[in-house]
Amino acid sequence: MSDEVLLRATDVVKSFTSRGKKLGARSLNTAVNGVSLEVKRGETLGIVGESGCGKSTLARCLVQLIPVTSGSVEFNGVELVGLSRRELRPHRREMQLVFQDPYASLNPRRTVGDIVADPMRINKMAGEREILERVRDLFVTVGLDPASVHRYPHEFSGGQRQRIGIARSLSLNPSLVVADEPVSALDVSVQAQVLNLMADLQDQLHLTYLFIAHDLGVVRHVSDRVGVMYLGEIVELGDAEALYQAPMHPYTEALLSVVPELNDTDAPRRERILISGDVPDPSDRPTGCSFHPRCPAATDICQREAPAFVELKPGRFVACHHPRNVDE
Amino acid sequence: MSDATLNEPVLSVRDLSVTFATRQGPLRAVDGLSFDVGAKEVLGIVGESGSGKSVAMYSMLGLVRDSNVAITGSVKFEGREILGLSDRELQSVRGGDVGMIFQDPMTAMTPVYKVGWQIVEQIRAHSDMTKAQARSRAIELLGEVGIPDPKTRVDHFPHEFSGGMRQRVVIAMALSCNPKLLIADEPTTALDVTTQAQILDLMSKLQESYGSSIVIITHDMGVIAEVANRVVVMYAGRPAEIGPEIDVVRFPRHPYTWGLLGAVPRVDVKNRRLVTIPGTPVSPLDVPTGCAFGPRCQHKMAICDERPILRGGDGHVDACWLSDEQRVAIRSQATVRGVADE
Repeated sequence: MSDEVLLRATDVVKSFTSRGKKLGARSLNTAVNGVSLEVKRGETLGIVGESGCGKSTLARCLVQLIPVTSGSVEFNGVELVGLSRRELRPHRREMQLVFQDPYASLNPRRTVGDIVADPMRINKMAGEREILERVRDLFVTVGLDPASVHRYPHEFSGGQRQRIGIARSLSLNPSLVVADEPVSALDVSVQAQVLNLMADLQDQLHLTYLFIAHDLGVVRHVSDRVGVMYLGEIVELGDAEALYQAPMHPYTEALLSVVPELNDTDAPRRERILISGDVPDPSDRPTGCSFHPRCPAATDICQREAPAFVELKPGRFVACHHPRNVDE
Repeated sequence: MSDATLNEPVLSVRDLSVTFATRQGPLRAVDGLSFDVGAKEVLGIVGESGSGKSVAMYSMLGLVRDSNVAITGSVKFEGREILGLSDRELQSVRGGDVGMIFQDPMTAMTPVYKVGWQIVEQIRAHSDMTKAQARSRAIELLGEVGIPDPKTRVDHFPHEFSGGMRQRVVIAMALSCNPKLLIADEPTTALDVTTQAQILDLMSKLQESYGSSIVIITHDMGVIAEVANRVVVMYAGRPAEIGPEIDVVRFPRHPYTWGLLGAVPRVDVKNRRLVTIPGTPVSPLDVPTGCAFGPRCQHKMAICDERPILRGGDGHVDACWLSDEQRVAIRSQATVRGVADE
């Protein structure tokens, strides 16, 4: 990992207008609410959060799959917001996606070889013969039999399909791979295979990952740094080990405390902090800190003022009026 | 959860097999499953998709309605054989003495009726309460499972509840007739981790106050460790290992359980390379005649072409031909490797 910033997002906002509850009314749904982050070359930045927290929308905004409402996204030093489709194309090659559902993300009517070859054909990377050769190489790289390029997606298991999705994402030699819940549809034994594969590929090809998942164990396993999202905002960001060992935001603390543990050692269990209620509707955001209605540490100021996202320790950013574990 | 008293089992399953006749030949979804559930005990059944864990539970309750299915073996609920009972006889068992919680709370309820109506109907089907009595019981139940303002919420439709709240309603429904046995099929899989914690907590509390036995089916070893007293690990329709939760998690015996536990990325310990099980789960259409796990097992021996029986002691058994000495040797090696990896 170097200190060179590959992707820098500043104050990214994405809102959707949707039909309101009453006839003719419109409501504004802010799915991503002012997110700033940096992804360094060669690292894995994990983004973790519960369903509806905006993590997938954030990923789509960062790779310009959907336009941002406001804010800036710089990739390799180039501002991407405001570029036309044509201008984006050379940058798109550099950032590729791996999707959650290995069933829905592969075209059932094309052979898996074509699925992996298409990005190279579209980008006119090489002649057809060379492309086919590279497809076979990619199949070997991700642990598939190169003789199976003429088969169709339905002939593969979930784990194999996810390998095909990974091969496709690598076909253009990207520097950044954005993986949105790449293993959540897989059984645990297959999930472990795919996670190990992604780690090996990162070493071999010097990839940078933005890894999005809801599973806290998976995110800890793969990430160098982790950002925790709640209701469209990153509430805590920092080195993975430090963040998991001494969470500073009360939401991170509660989230980590309730993950079921295997309890296979004599170490005492973390004390569970049950937070009550549900995540609020993003179209009806609470005043002040968006976590305050569910926060065990909330006081008056949390209702009035949204906390700033500040660096409390080197490399550790927290948005909270009453952070935990400050002295550790 | 409270200690299990194991004298008289509430549910006793012996040699249950479920076979579907398919065009490609017989598909044995469950193959020789035996276990007991004691009074107030929480039994966890864990396995990957296709391991037969759900089919086993559904078939014993007569919920697998396929003309091509053959179910053999014995299932005794409170000493009474329930396998082969008529639908009418089973109806008094299901929803009455046996409550059920399903994975997806939206499909477990009908979307066109208010939740109160649905609970009232279930209570009235299994007791002679009047409508008014049943309704006040429904409100009481909704309060018990932690739904705020149950008097108003009883008149809401399922879609007006969030996922976690909906699962609470399903739990209220399952508890409505004071069941002796609660079967929960992946009750928290569709939920976020904070909501999952709320629901598991609720189930533990209710289990104490109602004294029901629980069978919880899940793919998540963490959930098992959190709530279960005993565990059945299933692979390819067969039990691979059965034992007390703490023994299975700390001293797993079967190579499949080793892999399953090693493959889970942990929140509580530092990164290490995940243990992987090579290959993919075996298709139920061609389970080998010998050990079902054989083709994926790194410790396969010649004898593994013969099907191993469950053996072991102290209520902790597994289906594997490895001797105790071999297991100790393999496990100590694995630990050394694990340390070297870091």
